[in-house]
Amino acid sequence: MAEFLQFTVTGITVGMVYALIGLSFALIWKSSGVANLALGGLVLIFSWFTYAMTVQAGLPYWIALPLVILFALAMGWLIERFALRPLIAQPILSLITVTLGIFYFLEGLAVFIWPWMVDALPPVFPPEPFHLGPAVVAQAYVWAAVISLLLFGLLTLYFRYHKMGIAMRATADDQFAVQACGIPVTRIFSTSWMFACVVAAIAGILISWIGGLHFGLVETGLKSFSVVILGGLDSFIGCIIAGPIIGLAENLGGGYLTPLVWGGLKDIIPFIIIIIVLFIKPYGLFGEVRIERI
Amino acid sequence: MKGKRLLMVVGVLFLALTVAALPFMGACAPEPTPTPTPTPTPEPTPIPPAAQPLKYGMSICVTGVAAEKGSPMARGKLDAIEYINRELGGVNGHPIQAVWYDNGYDAAKAATIVKKLMDDGALFFTTNSSKMMSVSMEIANRAGFPGIASFSSPVCTNPPKHIYAQMPDYGDDWAAFAGYYMENIWKGTGKPKMAMHLLNNPTGYGSLDAATCLADELGIEIVATEEHTPTTISEMESMTRIKAANPDVLFISSTPAPTAVVIKNAYELGMYPGIVIGCAHASYTKALVDIAGAGIVEGVYGVFPTVNWGDDVPGMAKMEEYCKKLSLRYHGNMDYITSWAEALIGAEILRLALENCGYDVLAKGDATAWECVEKNGIQKLDYDVLGLHGPAKYTPGDNRLDKSVRVFVVKDGVITPVSDWIEAVRIPYENYPDKFPWAVAK
Amino acid sequence: MGLPCGTKNYTYAEDMAIMRTKTHWALLIALLVLLFTAPLYWGNYWLGVANLIGITAIAAIGLSILLGYCGQLSIGHAGFIAVGAYTAAILTNVLELPFLVGLICAGFMAGFIGLIFGIPSLRVKGFYLAIATIAAQFIIIWVINHMEITGGFIGIAVPYASIGGFVFDSEASQFYLIMVIVVMCTFFAKNLMRTRVGRAFVAIRDNDLAAEVMGINLFFYKLLAFFIGCFFAGIAGSLLAHWIGFMNTEQFSLMESILYIGMIIIGGLGTTLGPILGVIFIRLLQQGMMFVAPTIEAAIPALPAGFATGIAPMLFGLIIVLFLVLEPRGLAHRWILFKAAYRLWPFSY
Repeated sequence: MAEFLQFTVTGITVGMVYALIGLSFALIWKSSGVANLALGGLVLIFSWFTYAMTVQAGLPYWIALPLVILFALAMGWLIERFALRPLIAQPILSLITVTLGIFYFLEGLAVFIWPWMVDALPPVFPPEPFHLGPAVVAQAYVWAAVISLLLFGLLTLYFRYHKMGIAMRATADDQFAVQACGIPVTRIFSTSWMFACVVAAIAGILISWIGGLHFGLVETGLKSFSVVILGGLDSFIGCIIAGPIIGLAENLGGGYLTPLVWGGLKDIIPFIIIIIVLFIKPYGLFGEVRIERI
Repeated sequence: MKGKRLLMVVGVLFLALTVAALPFMGACAPEPTPTPTPTPTPEPTPIPPAAQPLKYGMSICVTGVAAEKGSPMARGKLDAIEYINRELGGVNGHPIQAVWYDNGYDAAKAATIVKKLMDDGALFFTTNSSKMMSVSMEIANRAGFPGIASFSSPVCTNPPKHIYAQMPDYGDDWAAFAGYYMENIWKGTGKPKMAMHLLNNPTGYGSLDAATCLADELGIEIVATEEHTPTTISEMESMTRIKAANPDVLFISSTPAPTAVVIKNAYELGMYPGIVIGCAHASYTKALVDIAGAGIVEGVYGVFPTVNWGDDVPGMAKMEEYCKKLSLRYHGNMDYITSWAEALIGAEILRLALENCGYDVLAKGDATAWECVEKNGIQKLDYDVLGLHGPAKYTPGDNRLDKSVRVFVVKDGVITPVSDWIEAVRIPYENYPDKFPWAVAK
Repeated sequence: MGLPCGTKNYTYAEDMAIMRTKTHWALLIALLVLLFTAPLYWGNYWLGVANLIGITAIAAIGLSILLGYCGQLSIGHAGFIAVGAYTAAILTNVLELPFLVGLICAGFMAGFIGLIFGIPSLRVKGFYLAIATIAAQFIIIWVINHMEITGGFIGIAVPYASIGGFVFDSEASQFYLIMVIVVMCTFFAKNLMRTRVGRAFVAIRDNDLAAEVMGINLFFYKLLAFFIGCFFAGIAGSLLAHWIGFMNTEQFSLMESILYIGMIIIGGLGTTLGPILGVIFIRLLQQGMMFVAPTIEAAIPALPAGFATGIAPMLFGLIIVLFLVLEPRGLAHRWILFKAAYRLWPFSY
């Protein structure tokens, strides 16, 4: 029974971390329909920038974090302006490949500036874990979960009530109509990329606190794919709910099935879930079902 | 429209230039190790490159995901060759010419690089990653082109053909640690229970294969085996299972970041301090201490095949001097020591081959030269590597050159040695042909 | 614009001909002659690069049929190549069957696995399908890693290819083998587009609902596209296994799959020449990257560490981005424009 509780607690907290990255992905998909394959590279760059601010420049966290946010905003604007704006009317595949090129570029940039490639951010949380009955969970995870929920709340409110948020939803729905209304679509794309980069930066910092600063940050982005597929590519609430579901499936499924089947089952469960979801409910739990007409 | 395009191209180029200039701007910010601009090396008598060089081929992953290992290793080898050429006059008067290419940790590139090195007339080639060697080895074996793997895995040297391992592999790590554990740490009666947590690639499974072969002989019972990915952020699930199996010792064969995660999870579950934790050499570096936190990894054992910076061995002085002169950034990096040692071994091999075959045979750079280098160079090797790691000596039937590791423990956040050189026995993988079909010579 | 001035088509066969004029034939024969006499003046290394390009081209042609002609986005191609490679490896190494058996079985095995993972294409499209194929890649690699017969994580050795008694043990002999298969595959792909199946594919790509309305069985044709695309991948995998000689799943990463997509896009979607051009471009670019680090280190030894390490992927990414921004329709489009310019110059206006 203690095992079950441990698996559950771990599953939910790890899932919230995935959900955080998934939020960034969903943000860009929701506003412009572009699949951001550069997400891993962005997470990497922002984590390393935080390292540069806190360790190399020696700034305390309360100065460094706003600087990181500013840098993320700037980077998001740059990427959108120079790599995606010229391709506005091109087929979606070209856009995806451009984000791929950006990914390679960011990867190279990270190695260029910080060539030793493995390091750690100065720790913020004490190493003692929280105890929930017989189960334990590291403090960094709990904070990650709290921040995920906070961001989710902020984003949902923004998209529901703020003028720009509503404009973003409108753009995702029908770009032409929005342009006819006089809303500058380019500004909307810029804003969505800037926000997505900020979310990616926050996710990167949290994951670096948990697991160290290394190239693996890139692949954590892949796990978030299963979260956005399950939750729906353009739904925030889907992200937040699907994240813990995937985390639970990983830990409970992996925990109980691994001794029966094969070692390492935990790693493949998110992908099996993707396939199953695509068979049963292709657009995810909360995603918008695309109705096509000839 | 044309103007816009031009503007965009200019913008991208400007961005590229800005980015290219970043490291020079970034050099203004304080960095972890103080880095003054390297003093220009005083120009000694220049060695004319055409003076009968000996070609030393290298396939290094300077770019790509493994660049954090490849970069210092490239500098280690090149600095050592610089030292040999400048101060020792090359090998018996012949300068060593480093012929190297960047494989980017990509299999397809590695395959073409071996062929390029063969075409270039290199006398042998070295790789610094077992993945790169596993791609290159069959091509090299087919052509009889000898190769030396800095980081090796059992499949590179079993069955023994033309590929040699500079240092013990992860199976040897396990064997050495298990032996040390049984002799010095295990105080109970009967068989200790060992759990293994492995990276899901040959690094991790190399240790498991060794354990499969030797655990019974050493008197250890393997109670749990778990694997993890290199990018894992939580292993609570597998550690919970391991905790339920109640082991006495946990062996982790992985890279620093996931090892840190496993150890942190062990700490959180209350397993550590309590059980004994041992690590293979791929993860046992300062990065592990940094990522996990010195308080958590206090008392964690590990094996490592080379000495530490600053140890009192004959080869340390020159290595420190050249590292500080040419690659100050990598001072303190353990992989640098490994490559410096590799270049020394390479030079020794060339010296033996030169003495036994003569320059004319070697100059051809073809199959006869390679055979000479292998039979008269590598297979006659008996070299102390100036103390930088265990002695490199060839014994017939065993393609590992250096078989020794030392056991270390983390004390006050510093990795300190607790044992002398332990030689890892050759693990008889071919005795288990169903489990290890690759070990049987066909 | 596609044909020289004054070429008139009077019959359907003429209209659909791949080689329409005598010039076409002459140039094709010249190209083939040049290609097949290459081993006379190319060394081991360049033949190796050509072999790599050939193997990649076979897989890319398969992906182009799947993606360029049928519009099914598949980012798991490296996984299907791995299936082919491991099938060939197991059949030739463990079961000791002849090379050709291994080749054909590798193709069929990869085709069937592709079929299974292509089933989601009946329900989803676009990026969703891409994610399904990414999941397929990870599942395939995971299964291969955990099976005993494939050598698990360590890998499996592969003997030389051999037909009859002749062993393909030199770079040149493998070059001929691979190039013959490349030519056959290109011919197959080009012809496929002239048949009913090809037209169905293009209809599905353009608007699959309309295609269904017109009576094209989506189920059958989408799965057929996956089968054919992955069959080619399997063949490429088998040749790759024999070329490298040692198979390990670390050779088939997600990056490889994404690179294949990049090759197709840079080459030009929807053409047969496109993937070949894209493959040549990317593989040569990669080879060029190999030389960047040593040259920089040799020329400017006092550079900050990480300069050479970072520059190569940055250049790579930058080139891909620039390419797509400046020529989104790919190299094949440039080639068509070049041919047209050649025919029409000097412009009469």
